[in-house]
Amino acid sequence: MSPRIPDTHAEAWALLPWLANGRLAAEDREWVEAHVQVCAECRAELAAQRLIDSHVARADATSPQPAASDEQRSFNKLWARIEAAESASAPITGTGSAGSPAPRTSRTVRWLAAAVVVQAIGLGALGLAFSNGERGKDYVTVTSPVGGTRSNAPAVTLVFSPGTSISTINTLLMHQGLSIVAGPGLSGNFRAELSPDAVASGATAETVAAVMSKDPNVSLAEPIAR
Amino acid sequence: MPLQSVENPNSRAVAQPANDASERELLDRIARSRDQKAFRTLYGNYYQRLSRLLARMSVRREDIEEVINDTFWVVWTKASEFRGASQLSTWIIGIAYRRALNALRRAKLRPVADQPFDEDSVSVGSSEEDETNQQWLSLGLERLPVEQRMALELTYTLGHSCEEVAAILDCPVNTVKTRLFRARETLKQVLPQLAGMSGEKS
Repeated sequence: MSPRIPDTHAEAWALLPWLANGRLAAEDREWVEAHVQVCAECRAELAAQRLIDSHVARADATSPQPAASDEQRSFNKLWARIEAAESASAPITGTGSAGSPAPRTSRTVRWLAAAVVVQAIGLGALGLAFSNGERGKDYVTVTSPVGGTRSNAPAVTLVFSPGTSISTINTLLMHQGLSIVAGPGLSGNFRAELSPDAVASGATAETVAAVMSKDPNVSLAEPIAR
Repeated sequence: MPLQSVENPNSRAVAQPANDASERELLDRIARSRDQKAFRTLYGNYYQRLSRLLARMSVRREDIEEVINDTFWVVWTKASEFRGASQLSTWIIGIAYRRALNALRRAKLRPVADQPFDEDSVSVGSSEEDETNQQWLSLGLERLPVEQRMALELTYTLGHSCEEVAAILDCPVNTVKTRLFRARETLKQVLPQLAGMSGEKS
């Protein structure tokens, strides 16, 4: 039986995970290592902890890694949300807030102008849709599609790049047979639905989203599951 | 704060003061000039790390992006309020942890089957025994309460010190030790190799 002081043993035992991961503070490492030298129970436990350490590290190393494109897409969503929030609170005079670079401010104002116009269209459509159905009660998260489902038409979520003009947006939508029915949401996202003609010609939410997502004026395009 | 020597034999990313200094510079640029490039860099520094950590906490795939973006929304809006009492990484991971707890609570309210992290991810082993141990460990980890699992993952997956784990989880150091002690006991019950080792009494 190794000589040990009960309290020292209990304290050393509790700190073994950080001896195993190499992050024990120097002042603790000295006495914990000294204790482990004379305590077979702690030596066995340290070996067990190192085994867990290597298993967890290996499980982490072999777990699926998110793709770089996922990271960029995810960041784009966050940035659209920030832009939308800052546009909503930015002064419309265009003088900008202290510390904000001028080009960014003018981009924000242009985006705000475009957003207001598209928002009016969206709100009109939303009002019509609400007049015929019950208002959705679900909590809407940043990544949720804008608005409730009010038709069976294939639909996509769209976020346009800041500074995209209203005429560019109109052209993009027209080419794909899309109409905005709701938005912008918290992250500047719109819900757009495919026209019956586009559906008849073989377009789906997936194919349209794939085409739209390649356009530099679109920072996000995703099909909405029906 | 002096640089701690990190003797971890595994090649994981470990939060260290050297990283902290460069990341604080990024945060400073975000706070002072709303620097999007600095924000994007900081986001990239944490995206992979948080994605894997959240997946291992059994946060649903569809919630992971929302947790990360909600976390960095706070980083963007509160950058000027960070006073540097703790490391930047503990601040950011602590925000993500609290958002993840909310996501896990919400997920429990939804009538959808749980989607724990991919079991296949631990089936790669250098030998049959290794593979079996990995699978046992996965099962053991899934049985841990989220607080214990988080303490264990922060210690072993991210390589944080006990004090850093306490800062992230916003609890006393002794609570971290207790959580990890209980996690160790649970894992021993499911991982035969660990039970054999701890059976060697002095």
